[in-house]
Amino acid sequence: MFLLESVVQTGIGVLGAGIGAGLAAIGAGMGIGRLAASSVESIARQPEASGDIRGAMILTAAFIEGVALFGEVICLLAVLTK
Amino acid sequence: MSLKNFLILGILSLALSLGYSQDHHDQETHQNDDKHKVEETQDGGHEEAKKDESKDSDEHEGSHEGDALEHGHKEDPSEVIIHHILDNHNWHITDLPGGQSIGIEFPWMVYTSKTGFVYASDSEELIEKGIIPVHEKPYVLKEGVEKHFHVNHHGMVHLEEGEMEKYIDEEAFVIDFSITKTVSQMILVGLILLLVMISVANAYKKREGQAPKGLQSFIEPVVIFVRDEVAKPYLGENTSKFLPYLLTLFFFIWFANLFGLMPFNSNIAGNISFTAALAILTFIITQVNASKDHWVHVFNTPGVPWWLKFGIPLMPLVEFIGLFTKPFALAVRLFANITAGHFMVLGLISLIFILGNGGESAGAAFGIAPLSFLFTVIIFMLEMIVAVIQPFIFTLLTAVFVGMAMESHDDHH
Repeated sequence: MFLLESVVQTGIGVLGAGIGAGLAAIGAGMGIGRLAASSVESIARQPEASGDIRGAMILTAAFIEGVALFGEVICLLAVLTK
Repeated sequence: MSLKNFLILGILSLALSLGYSQDHHDQETHQNDDKHKVEETQDGGHEEAKKDESKDSDEHEGSHEGDALEHGHKEDPSEVIIHHILDNHNWHITDLPGGQSIGIEFPWMVYTSKTGFVYASDSEELIEKGIIPVHEKPYVLKEGVEKHFHVNHHGMVHLEEGEMEKYIDEEAFVIDFSITKTVSQMILVGLILLLVMISVANAYKKREGQAPKGLQSFIEPVVIFVRDEVAKPYLGENTSKFLPYLLTLFFFIWFANLFGLMPFNSNIAGNISFTAALAILTFIITQVNASKDHWVHVFNTPGVPWWLKFGIPLMPLVEFIGLFTKPFALAVRLFANITAGHFMVLGLISLIFILGNGGESAGAAFGIAPLSFLFTVIIFMLEMIVAVIQPFIFTLLTAVFVGMAMESHDDHH
């Protein structure tokens, strides 16, 4: 309890939220980067399957983005609940 | 067409920043004028009455200025953003320069364990009846407390942290049944959806065997997409049983998201209650239609050593929690995506005001305005895509969960 109070008072919570948002963005960026790299590769190998691959790519990208946004929402809560 | 919209948006954002800095300058020059007047009258000596008058008017203006600040929330962008994201008890459209605000104030309908159901047409009446609205939430007032509170233009009472305990009866149990901004927006979207879908359905009856026309040709490919790409691969022969629910989910969330992106509208899917309600529906439908093997899989998972099931019941526990985390993730995913989109758009717009620093550095505001506008348009386009991808994912996962729960053991192994 004391720790929590001191964290809120010194604003470390806000710092943590900022770092957390950054980490979430890094994770999502790496995920979507890998996803895009392999999708482009597979489209280059098999151009006739590009429609299916694109669909799967967008879907998976939305999943990865969703996880990143979970992180963002938690960071937001850390900033907003004082 | 898109270029035209682009230009209109740009002009709007520029006008916004211009109007903002202008407003502040006006106030400043006005203050200077008043100071001048006071000095003049002081020189005059015998015009003390006039001086008092000007002082009075000065004070008056001061309070007006305070109101205007409160009205526009010019000082705190984060407050503006939060206010736009959250649900409200009034549908606030805009403020007029005179300080009047245009919008609809919704009536209150509150149930409390102390007073029962309470109806009130506005916040003042609600306070008279012993319930105080603080920060969009109603609370029961303590008995014997004087009922004089300042209601701000959102229809809310502002209490400091210490004051809450002084006025509020914390033992009382309160549920707010009022039709709020989000609820009314949801009803509106539902009605529009009904209108569109009934007219399309009638067109199919009327033009049987003919090629689709008008709205039909817009709706038909989407319906076929949901049936063939979303439902069939996971539900198989049960597709027709769940297709109405899946289509309702898809179109309702999609329309809600599109309405949320329009000006003056509320973001429905950015409200966790809405997404949670949809996820609970999915949860109920999944569990009600589950096969026997679904429950066997949860409590007596095949292929797991017996001591993990009955000695230390770790697997059943994990599987049981998994039943609830699926709909939870479903709700939070939709909520987070839509909320984050609105945050980004509002944050980028607020950048103009943050850098403008209350009109002191109007140049910075002008400098950032085109950039902020450009990013806003890009994010907006992304949000248009998200507005259709999120209902797609919600529907797809619903189909996957239902399909998984209905699967019987024999066709799996």
